[in-house]
Amino acid sequence: MKTLRYLLLALLIAAPALPAGAADWVLIANPKAGIGHLSQDDVTNIYLGRYRRLASGLTAEPIDQPGDSLLKARFYRQLVDKNLAEINAYWARLVFSGKTRPPRVVASEEDAVQFVARNLDALAYVDKSMVDARVSVVFSMSE
Amino acid sequence: MDSNRLRIIKVLRKGIFLLAAAAALAQVSSAFADDVATPIPAESNLSLRGFGTLGVARSSSDQAEFVRDLSQPKGISNHWSARNDSILGVQANWQATQSLELVGQVVSRYHYNDSRDPELMWAFAKWEPDARVSFRAGRIGADFMMLADSRLVGYSYLPVRPSADFFGPLFFSHFDGADATLTLPLANGLVRGKLFAGATHEKATGAPGIWDTSGSPVGGFVLDYLTGPWQLRASATSIRFPNDINFTQLQTGLRTAGAAAAADLLSTRNTTTWYYSLGAVYDDGPLQIQGMLNSIRHETAVFQNSHAGYLLAGYRMGEWTPYAGVSWWKSRFRDETTGLPDAAPFDELNQGFDYVMRASTSNQQTYTLGMRWDLKQDMALKMQWDAIRGKASSRFPFATSKPGWNGRTDVLSLSFDFVF
Repeated sequence: MKTLRYLLLALLIAAPALPAGAADWVLIANPKAGIGHLSQDDVTNIYLGRYRRLASGLTAEPIDQPGDSLLKARFYRQLVDKNLAEINAYWARLVFSGKTRPPRVVASEEDAVQFVARNLDALAYVDKSMVDARVSVVFSMSE
Repeated sequence: MDSNRLRIIKVLRKGIFLLAAAAALAQVSSAFADDVATPIPAESNLSLRGFGTLGVARSSSDQAEFVRDLSQPKGISNHWSARNDSILGVQANWQATQSLELVGQVVSRYHYNDSRDPELMWAFAKWEPDARVSFRAGRIGADFMMLADSRLVGYSYLPVRPSADFFGPLFFSHFDGADATLTLPLANGLVRGKLFAGATHEKATGAPGIWDTSGSPVGGFVLDYLTGPWQLRASATSIRFPNDINFTQLQTGLRTAGAAAAADLLSTRNTTTWYYSLGAVYDDGPLQIQGMLNSIRHETAVFQNSHAGYLLAGYRMGEWTPYAGVSWWKSRFRDETTGLPDAAPFDELNQGFDYVMRASTSNQQTYTLGMRWDLKQDMALKMQWDAIRGKASSRFPFATSKPGWNGRTDVLSLSFDFVF
């Protein structure tokens, strides 16, 4: 019984220190947009609609995946440690206050790549394997 | 693939079902459902959304009626009622150009005239020439809550309702006017300043009868600083009331008796009220803590100056988020008298005046425990217990209170919140 208690305690202490696992997605932009590199705070501010101005002066247009996308759930989990219900509640707060617009939703990751390839202000998260010459990586989670 | 079309079809499908169900429950005419069912061209930048709450609550006391805020003429007592927390709202957004958006919102909720007559909450144009600045003009929200302009979208916040101790006296939720917001990066964070001005056009339930505050000039600022998991806020608002509350009979009596100064104290006409607040939110992953303090100062003696605060913390575990909070609302008795002798024939005037002076007393704290369950996407169920522990003198926060009121009641609330 005592051993079990120590084991539980050890698990509780160790849990936050475990590596979160490398992220399998990257944030992409149009290579001609000259965005360079974004910080995690920049990406959070853009995706949560707090501040979308890019260094180039353009207003960033973030692209989201559909509500049932597993990639979407991983993206928000790893970026801000929120589940999709919390992200939805967050947008309900802002949308029904008539404030910022939520990110534009496209139907698939391929659509996201195509959208970014056509628009200088667009940003999208896609699986690493989706990256090709049409887009450039501007952010990836370091863990 | 046209994502707009997919989204609109999805929104419509969900919207029609929920709206139909909620309209019946919330006793709202089915006219809304017809509006939403109208096909929207898929190419347009028009979006229709809605929100609602079906909430029931009861308290342990039949001596005072608990209300969300002072716009509600009747409240919750010792039997189950869906009256005070049930809300339905629909909103249309039209992105006219890249930088111009039009927003309209209609809400049906229980309010000042004991009805659910739909109210036009928002009707404004928003112009964002740049990601740093935003201008809005029209009917816009009064930004009292830290996280949102609207206090009515239950799905968007953790508890069943925003703290009644803190937001109870803030009976107006929108005004006709304009605001300007500037957001700039500052020291690893963002600083956001907002100035607003306009005129209110709402009515409150006042004793006695309805108090029309239409045309009251309102103005102020909100300053936020966001960094990492923190959001810090300071705000100030002033409102100048053009109308009196109906105390005519008492005032006439006082003037006739020679107590003109006391009669003047009962006037709200051309008096200003100031509202100040400070707040902090810490939101890091599953942990959410928020707290605010306010101070309300009235020029009129009809209302006692007050201060209030709340602290709320929640911790998400999967679909479940237990939360706990504490709030308080205290006012200061002005100790004004009519100056008339404490004897016949002035007894009635003295008592009437004293009654008014004491009617705006708040002296209570509330302990809150609750659980939010995000059962499906865009739907949440909540259960909450509020233990209100106050003095018998604390009558202002309640719709009506009877002589046996001892300042203590427990409110149990259940709500189903949704957005579509």
